[in-house]
Amino acid sequence: MLDFVKNGLRDMFHIWREELKSVFKDEGVMIFFFLVPLAYPVLYSFIYNNEVVHEAKMVVVDADNSPLSREFIRRVDASSEVKVVQQAADLGEAQRLVDSKEVFGILSIPESFSRDLHAGRQTTVSLYSDMSALLYYKAFLLTATEVSLDMGAEWTARNHPQSTEQLQAIAVQPIPSENIVMFNTQNGFASFLVPAILVLVIQQTLILGIGMSGGTARERNRFHTLVPMMKHYHGTLRIVAGKSLAYLSLYVFVCLWVFILVPRFFSLPQIGQPLDALLFLLPYLLACIFFSMTLSVFVRDRESPMLLFVFTSVTLVFISGISWPMYAVPPFWKAAGYVFPSTAGIQGFVKINTMGATLNEVAHEYRTLWMQTGIYFLTACAVYRYQIIACRKRLIARYREMKAASGR
Amino acid sequence: MTIRDMIHSIGDIARRECIRIASKPIYLFTMVIAPVISLVFFLSLMQNGLPTNLPIAVVDRDNSSTSRTLIRQLDAFEQTQVAMLTPSFAEARKELQKGTVYGIFYIPEDFEQLASTGKQPKLSYYTNGAYLIAGSLLFRDMKTISVLANASVGLQTGTAKGMTEEAIMGQLQPIVIDTHAIGNPWLNYSVYLNNTILPGILQLVIFMVTVFSIGSEIKQGTARRWLSMGHQSLWVSIVGKLLPHTVVFTLMGFLFCAVLYGFNAFPLQSGWAPMLVAIFFLVIASQAVGVFMIGTLPTLRLGLSFACLFGMIAFSIVGFSYPLLAMDPTLQALGRLFPLRHYFLIYVDQALNGRAIYYTLSEYIWLLGFLLLPFLIRKNLKQALLYFKYVP
Repeated sequence: MLDFVKNGLRDMFHIWREELKSVFKDEGVMIFFFLVPLAYPVLYSFIYNNEVVHEAKMVVVDADNSPLSREFIRRVDASSEVKVVQQAADLGEAQRLVDSKEVFGILSIPESFSRDLHAGRQTTVSLYSDMSALLYYKAFLLTATEVSLDMGAEWTARNHPQSTEQLQAIAVQPIPSENIVMFNTQNGFASFLVPAILVLVIQQTLILGIGMSGGTARERNRFHTLVPMMKHYHGTLRIVAGKSLAYLSLYVFVCLWVFILVPRFFSLPQIGQPLDALLFLLPYLLACIFFSMTLSVFVRDRESPMLLFVFTSVTLVFISGISWPMYAVPPFWKAAGYVFPSTAGIQGFVKINTMGATLNEVAHEYRTLWMQTGIYFLTACAVYRYQIIACRKRLIARYREMKAASGR
Repeated sequence: MTIRDMIHSIGDIARRECIRIASKPIYLFTMVIAPVISLVFFLSLMQNGLPTNLPIAVVDRDNSSTSRTLIRQLDAFEQTQVAMLTPSFAEARKELQKGTVYGIFYIPEDFEQLASTGKQPKLSYYTNGAYLIAGSLLFRDMKTISVLANASVGLQTGTAKGMTEEAIMGQLQPIVIDTHAIGNPWLNYSVYLNNTILPGILQLVIFMVTVFSIGSEIKQGTARRWLSMGHQSLWVSIVGKLLPHTVVFTLMGFLFCAVLYGFNAFPLQSGWAPMLVAIFFLVIASQAVGVFMIGTLPTLRLGLSFACLFGMIAFSIVGFSYPLLAMDPTLQALGRLFPLRHYFLIYVDQALNGRAIYYTLSEYIWLLGFLLLPFLIRKNLKQALLYFKYVP
């Protein structure tokens, strides 16, 4: 019994070493295990690093041309989100500027602007926004609304002087309100999307890398199976344990870079407890590894993982409930999301990392990941067991063939 | 070689390619099944256009008839659903961290009484910036309800003083902004995202399949045979080989257009022709980029990795979610290297806004310009086809 365990462990470490060696020898696998996890997070952070839209370009049609309307325009221009680049004579000219993409929005001030205000009537300013990017629309709308509220309040205060400051405020705004944005306080794009991408990169590179090394093994091995015919490769458990340990030991370093250093460099939000993040990432890594090992059985040659799995990346971002809210994901896709570790991984990691949740708050995701780890461990074992048997069968068949041939 | 010979060779090579495609299921999967899965996925995910009934928590410290009316009105918005009613802010915040609610609406103590006596009670609403879409939709609803609450109290006190409604509104909100979202007035996210994501998927699989089909000739050592069928002409060989792909991908592109503009009736101001031409140009431009990739890196796995990484980056750098002009200047120049970027600009001009074709002509020319790329690597590619030895 002791011997059995000793042999098992020896084989496991042998397989561990062999797998590491083969990873470092294979530039294709190295691309996915190292180059992509190193470069992609940096690239994506760089792309979204400006976080919000600054100085979205806008044209103004000022039919009123009064001190009041000019004041309104000046204030819109002064905001950090919007820049008034030009004044147009009429809407037609403004439209042409939008068509030629010199500006993305039109602010049209009516000829009756100051007349209405002086008469104590409501006046309407029209805002037109190009819808090629929702963030422009948002920048224009928020800025124009803010300026209109501020200027409106000041105008009322000037025209209806009250005896005290208190009464003044009440006349302008009987019920004040305020918005507080939590966790990603500037509503930044990088802080919102990049943490999700970081988590996804881990799963996708593992699928591609492990799939590729599986494909290579099949191309090389005599009987086109995942497992070579060698004395160390006899037990299912030692193969699965040895290989997964190899991937795990590599990805500890990858995770260090992806989850600790990259967020620091680009000052992404990171308010979670490091220990919680660490405890959460462990089952995520394990689930991804066993999931990838299971998938690698569908891979016939070394290039097919890319053709099979890369297109899922965009889908998985949306199924994870970060950009498209989970409550609006149809039940069928929600169920499909449970197949992939990235769904619970992204949800849980964002909650811990960005929203400062503890393991208690992400209990559901944490349990899901451990369950996936268990299930995919079993499927990985089943897959390898099947491969060992297939390999043996072919060997025996081959042996009989040769024996029959020599006996004749 | 006469023109007749050329056409003959192209036909032969195309027939050979059809057999190669049919004999490997992975082609069927990548060229047809993967794009169709994506089509079904994205359109069914966003079928309502906007996420509806996003859960929020309301912290009602007042519990009066006024506060309850406010909550009812908030719940009546299409995007907002009051999923939790609690007197404790800490509890609501915990749910926000768990992700079961995306926002908190806070009504302070004695709200009703303070409002009616002119003591300016303050409404606060919290949105979760980590979920950007949910956060901004809820922001809109909660802001509207706060402004409405302000107006209704203002109206009550104003009417009591004997002012007309017009005068009161002129005092409460002298300047109103009337917003027009040109082309997509419903702010439909499916229109906004799927018009670019789906062609992006098409571009990605075209990159991969083009690289894969040429690269596997090198890997399997059949490249010389293929080239000799084209009488040693690289162009005849490539055109013959990629022609069946062009047909399949163009049909997929037309299917996408039919589903987007026909079945879903998304905005199509320009009529069909400009978009069908655009998607056809996107197909051939992407194929040209694919040839360029395998020509630059003639090892199948490296060429294919290049295709994957470039194809994935396209989704971000095209700038349909986060605008390209808001990115770093180096990235703005880089964006031009992606066929999808030009397709996106055509879509914005034509389908979304129905602008004169004059504004868009340069983007069509850009897409055709990608066809020049294979010429840059012709020597390298031919060398690889003739002499490259695949090292596993």
